[in-house]
Amino acid sequence: MTYFIFFLGLCFILGALAVASNPSPYYGVLGLVLGSVVGCGWLLSLGVSFISLVLFLVYLGGMLVVFVYSVSLAADPFPETWGDWRVLGYGVGLVLVVFVGMVVGNFVGVGVQGVNTVDCGGAVSIRMDFSGVAMFYSLGAGMFLVAGWGLLLTLFVVLELVRGLSRGAIRAV
Amino acid sequence: MSLLHLCFYSAFTLSGLGLAFHRTHFISALLCLESMMLSLYVALSIWPIQTQTPSFTLIPVLMLAFSACEAGTGLAMLVSSTRTHGSDHLHNLNLLQC
Repeated sequence: MTYFIFFLGLCFILGALAVASNPSPYYGVLGLVLGSVVGCGWLLSLGVSFISLVLFLVYLGGMLVVFVYSVSLAADPFPETWGDWRVLGYGVGLVLVVFVGMVVGNFVGVGVQGVNTVDCGGAVSIRMDFSGVAMFYSLGAGMFLVAGWGLLLTLFVVLELVRGLSRGAIRAV
Repeated sequence: MSLLHLCFYSAFTLSGLGLAFHRTHFISALLCLESMMLSLYVALSIWPIQTQTPSFTLIPVLMLAFSACEAGTGLAMLVSSTRTHGSDHLHNLNLLQC
């Protein structure tokens, strides 16, 4: 089980590497989907299933779907895969950066500390992640209103960015 | 540093470097930004587990809401760049000649 969690962590790094080596955006989105699925599995293995499902729904099911069909704006006739020497060079260089960072930061070994449970130390009727996020609606109502206001504001920001006809922020045509 | 901390720390660093060394497409930079947000989400989720404080499990959810705002703004800029220049190549954004 310990090695399974290590494998999930390694796949998380591989997903980030797949995005960072900047292949054609079709393959970058693939790396991001892999990273988010493995991240969900990682959070599940640590016990916080509610946080993991929130990530799955909102990030993978909401934001990444929008990114996947926005990638169609970036259509290349000959997309660069991970076999091209440019992308491979970037990948190898980034892996070298990680290894040098591990050496400089004195990363010692693969010791894992014990994983704490999410049932608040035995009081199994209370779940840590459910009750924590549920505070958003009781004690955190002010933050709830601020977040809702920010989300509404973002809609108007997006509208003003893509508006043209010499009144827009970017399109001055 | 434990191995789990190394995993999200190096994922964040890799995505940040991928954002810095972008090449042709604007959307590749946006994807690196999303990968940074993902590693931040995982990091913010691991923290309340290890300190056993339930009220901090709200923080990654809130961060995800604001990161969705940021992704929407980035995609709006992508769309306006494509409508102005015909593609999202970064060499089109050449007003700053330095």
